Amino acid sequence: MRDRQAILGARNVSKAFFGNEALRDVSIELIPGRIHALLGENGAGKSTLINLLSGTLTSDRGEILIDGNAVALKPRDARRLGVAVVQQELSLAPHLSIAENIGLGALPRRWGLVDYGRLAALAEEIGGQLGIVEPADTPVGRLPLGRRQLVEIAKALSIKPRVLIFDEPTSSLAAPDVAKLMGLVRRLRDRGVAILYISHRLNEIIDFCDYVTVLKDGAVTADRPLAGLDPSGLVRLMVGRDPQNLFPQYATQRTDDLVLEARNFRSGAAAGVDVRLHRGEILGIGGLVGHGQEDFMLGLYGAAPAKADQFWARARGGSVRTAPFAHVSEANAAGVAYVPADRRKEGLLLPHSIDFNLLLPFFARHGTERRRNAEEERITEALARRLNIRGDRRRPVQALSGGNQQKVAVSKWLPLEPSVLLLNDPTRGVDVETKREIYVALRRMAAEGKAVILLSTDTPELVHLCDRVMVFQKGRVAATLAHVEASEEAIVAAAMGVGSAQTRQ
Amino acid sequence: MNDGLTPARGHRLYWSIQWRRNDGLGALFLVLAAFAVIYAILFPGILGVGALAKFVQGWFPTAMVAAAETIVMLTGGIDLSVGPMVSLGSVVAASTMQGPMGILGGLLAVLALGGCVGAVTGSFVAIGRYPAIIVTLALSFVLRGVALLLLPRPGGFVPPSLSEFLAGSHPTAAVLLILFVILWKVYQATPLGIGLVAVGDNAEGAYRSGVGVATARLCAYILSGVLVSFTGLYVAAQTGSGDPVIGEPMTLAAIAAAVLGGVGFLGGQGAMRGALAGSLLMSILINVMFFMDLPLVAQYVVQGLIIVCTVSLPLLRSSWRRAL
Repeated sequence: MRDRQAILGARNVSKAFFGNEALRDVSIELIPGRIHALLGENGAGKSTLINLLSGTLTSDRGEILIDGNAVALKPRDARRLGVAVVQQELSLAPHLSIAENIGLGALPRRWGLVDYGRLAALAEEIGGQLGIVEPADTPVGRLPLGRRQLVEIAKALSIKPRVLIFDEPTSSLAAPDVAKLMGLVRRLRDRGVAILYISHRLNEIIDFCDYVTVLKDGAVTADRPLAGLDPSGLVRLMVGRDPQNLFPQYATQRTDDLVLEARNFRSGAAAGVDVRLHRGEILGIGGLVGHGQEDFMLGLYGAAPAKADQFWARARGGSVRTAPFAHVSEANAAGVAYVPADRRKEGLLLPHSIDFNLLLPFFARHGTERRRNAEEERITEALARRLNIRGDRRRPVQALSGGNQQKVAVSKWLPLEPSVLLLNDPTRGVDVETKREIYVALRRMAAEGKAVILLSTDTPELVHLCDRVMVFQKGRVAATLAHVEASEEAIVAAAMGVGSAQTRQ
Repeated sequence: MNDGLTPARGHRLYWSIQWRRNDGLGALFLVLAAFAVIYAILFPGILGVGALAKFVQGWFPTAMVAAAETIVMLTGGIDLSVGPMVSLGSVVAASTMQGPMGILGGLLAVLALGGCVGAVTGSFVAIGRYPAIIVTLALSFVLRGVALLLLPRPGGFVPPSLSEFLAGSHPTAAVLLILFVILWKVYQATPLGIGLVAVGDNAEGAYRSGVGVATARLCAYILSGVLVSFTGLYVAAQTGSGDPVIGEPMTLAAIAAAVLGGVGFLGGQGAMRGALAGSLLMSILINVMFFMDLPLVAQYVVQGLIIVCTVSLPLLRSSWRRAL
């Protein structure tokens, strides 16, 4: 690795969203002829960093450097300076053809009109390198996701970039396409292109990249050549740091009393999950985002169509149900409640008062009766005390901080006395103090004999709070870890398919 | 790159892309052809040159406002001020043509009006990021008010020579329509025109690709404004006077024709030919029902039913295909 000047870099950049710091003092240098891996867990700040480097966002502090000069970038400038990004959320226009999409933003022109001749040649040349066999006139919306990903890559290559940023380019590619892409990226590196490569496939990174920067909670924890690291070494770098004294003392309240069991449960991307849930248990669900965890939860809740070879759930009052819930109302009636991850869109009615939001599930049960103020007051008062929601409860929910909103979204279900509580990432974007309160509340619910399924993208939660952790990969359970086995390393390793025998049951 | 082959390859690519834009319009074209045949059988007189020219004149305003609406809808917006803008265009045309610059002055005033109003709407939507539905709804009240202030009741002056030229026995409307289609094709072959579709399809992606999102939207609104105000001038020439409320039913007619033509509310989806075919179908329907002496109210009912049926045909077909 000769020491050459970086083409693109960031110096001490920080960026915050609504008071939450996504990046803190991050520096990175992309050097020509080097494949640079960017690693980090979900929410570590990788996407924010890419967006800063490509001009989609501007940093709060620090600077972006091109050829050593500080610049203020917009995406258009970045592309003109030779910075191309292969976005994970594709930047394609589904109603335009493959050729037009490849050229979009820098279409070849003659007399002000698009030069379709050169466009066709360009699409053919780059499409040929990547193995795009579909005719160039095909509307991109007609292609399956993996093929669209190839078009996205072709579009990045079309500007003959000096810096090429890949945001999980292989997540939806088939194996032969991955191999083709790898060969192509190596050739580009040898031609002196600087490459930043983000992937959750550690093996891919090991045999492909030269250098690695690891992000953890928005800060750089490692910035070093990749030589001498193996997958478990990479996992250690990503997990890093001790969890602070954030979690309540672990003490299991799990009983042997089964409340829910399913065999080969299928819903959306969840492609066959066996699950058993007991009274008093907190069952964690982990894995990389988008491997079927959320579909599994929604399927259990009856919010998405679900099938199972065997299903058994003890409903409120002791009756038994042997088919997955077909509607949310059935699940609610049986004592199953769900707290969605996107509380602002799905969990709360933002302009309405705290009281009103707390009472929603109660209203759903009470149909057309006259409202009784005294009873409602009693319920909301108790809930507010229980989850420590302070202040005037007639305020609209949107006036609360993220953490307090989440407390409202969770506690509104408690008057229904749910026997199973499904929580989808309840601490996302929540401050530390409120996190602690939510953890304590979860433990107390378990102690009361409720069964909790906790889907979380925050691995320490799974480690310190859960009696068992199911780790999803590609729609199936890659590993089920008991509390003593569930370390952050083990969970991340299972999620990334790094098989180490002792973590599997 | 083989330069000798490039132009030929370019043509092939261009025309095959254009051809694929017919996807999903088959049902509409069939229904349209069926009604055209029925119309010709019921009223064989339509097949003469003069009668055809008259028919195109009747269709022309709907076609233009449908086209204007389509341009805006392709960017993911909507324009609820089309009708009042037609009224204002006709009022301005009828009150400026008496002036010292005559017909040319009136034409310039009308086009400038459309361009300016489009630029204002476009700035609010593209730069200020206001929802198009609110901006254009508010604007529709403003335009309606201004038209009534300028000309409280139908009147003004349109030179008979202009009426004769645009809406007399010449096939001027047909020529204008063809001219418009050619210009639109050219626009769609510029980066700006492709950007217009890209912005409606995936605004975030287009921005990240370096497309000038605000410019593409702004241009769409200006273009649309010019088309609509010119429609106002045309209507004034047809009736021989300015009328402050003549455009009222055209807002919904424009949206209906665009939707009938497969233009989506979410942007990016649809093609100009679909919207033009949609407006033509509605025009034929109105004529047929008019000659059959159906009461006006019944005409509305039939129009609505036809729109629902034609729009739901592709949906029905795809769900039927899925069931197989």
